[in-house]
Amino acid sequence: MNRTILFIIGGILLGGIVHIAIIFLVPTYSTRDAWTAVGRFGDDNQFHILPRAEPGTEALPYLDPTMTYAVCRYSLNKGPVRMRASLPDTFWSLAVFDRRGRNIYSLNDRSAEDSTLDLVVATPVQQAELKQVPRESLESAIIIESAATNGFALLRVFVPDPTLAEPAATALRGAQCAAPL
Amino acid sequence: MRGRLLPGGDSRPQFRLPERSLRLLFNIALALVVAIAMGAASAWYSLDRGRLFNSLSLGEWTAWPESGSPDADPYSGAMLARSGEVPLGAAEGLAFSADTDSSRSPLSGRCNYVIVGQTPLARLWTLTAYDSSGHLMGEAGQRTSFQSREILRRPDGRFEIRAAAQVQPGNWLPITRVDRFRVVLRLYDTPLATGNQLGELVMPQILRESCR
Repeated sequence: MNRTILFIIGGILLGGIVHIAIIFLVPTYSTRDAWTAVGRFGDDNQFHILPRAEPGTEALPYLDPTMTYAVCRYSLNKGPVRMRASLPDTFWSLAVFDRRGRNIYSLNDRSAEDSTLDLVVATPVQQAELKQVPRESLESAIIIESAATNGFALLRVFVPDPTLAEPAATALRGAQCAAPL
Repeated sequence: MRGRLLPGGDSRPQFRLPERSLRLLFNIALALVVAIAMGAASAWYSLDRGRLFNSLSLGEWTAWPESGSPDADPYSGAMLARSGEVPLGAAEGLAFSADTDSSRSPLSGRCNYVIVGQTPLARLWTLTAYDSSGHLMGEAGQRTSFQSREILRRPDGRFEIRAAAQVQPGNWLPITRVDRFRVVLRLYDTPLATGNQLGELVMPQILRESCR
C-alpha cells in the first residue's frame, strides 16, 4: 500500500513533465492557429482581403470590425519577400508574424513616415547577401530579419465610416506580397 | 492442479513472484495514468482559464502587452495557437479587455451598462463588444463598435457609451441578451504598447445601471 502511494506521488511528478511537454507542443501541432487559418483565404505569396466582420461571420477571432484587413502567407525558401502597398492617408499598420504566430515586426503609418509600405523580409543569410550586394531598388525599403522561413503578414487600414470601406479595400487590393526585389 | 500445488512449502515462492511483478506492473500503470491525467488536465485548465503572466491590469481592464511577442511566455504562445487570435504588434497598439464591471460583477447581456471616462493617450481607439465565444454581438447591419473619432463627448472631454440590448440615447452600443460578454478597448499607436508610460493612466469605468 505504501509503495502504491509512492507510485502515485511519482505519477504526479511525471504529470508536471507531461504538462510542460503539452504546453510546448501545442503551437507545433495546433490546427486552429492563425497561420493555418490565414491559409484558407487563398494562395500563398499574395495579399487577400478579409471579408468585412459582421456578427456571426468573423474571418479571424477578435479582429477589430472598424478595420479592413489583408493577409498574406509567405515563404522565404525561394528568396527574400518584398511587400509593397500604397495606402490611404489614415491610420494603417502592418504586423509580420512567424509560423508560430510570434510577432517579429510591426509598423504603423506614422513610423513608415509616408503612405507607402515597402518592406523586405529575409532570413539572416539572405539579409547578409542583401548587405553585401546593395541594390539601388531597395534603398528606401525596410529590411527585417526572420529566423523562421514561413510566416504571414496582416495589413490593416482604419475605416472611419462604412462609406470609406471601398477606398480602403481598393488600396489593399493593390498591395503586393511578392513584389520584385 | 490444485492438489499438486498446495502441498510442499517450496512451491510458494513461484506463486509470490508473479504476484509481486503484477503489483509492480499495476503500480507503474497507475503512475502513468496519474501522470497523463494530471498533466493533460492541468495543461488544458491553464490554457482555458486565460493568460496568467505579464498582464497589465487597470481596474476592470486587462491587457497582455507581451502577447505574441517573441519573448512571450510559452503559455501565451500555446494559447494563441489554440485560439487562432492575431495579437496587435507593439507599433500597432494595445488591446484591453474587460469581463466585469467596476464592482467586479461579470458583464451580463441582461443589464444596461454605461462606459464613462477617458482613455490613455492614443492616436485612435475603438470599443467593441464580444460574446463569451468571441463573436461580435448585435444583428447584421447593426453597430458593433465605437471609435474615438465619431463619438459624442461631454464638454469636459469625457465620453459616455451605453451598452444595452434596447435602444439608448447618445452613444449606444447594442449588445444581445447573453449571460456573459466582454468589451475590448483597442488603443492604436499608443506609447503604452511600447512600454512608455506617460503620466497617470486613466481608463474608462464600466458602471452597471439596471438589470431585467
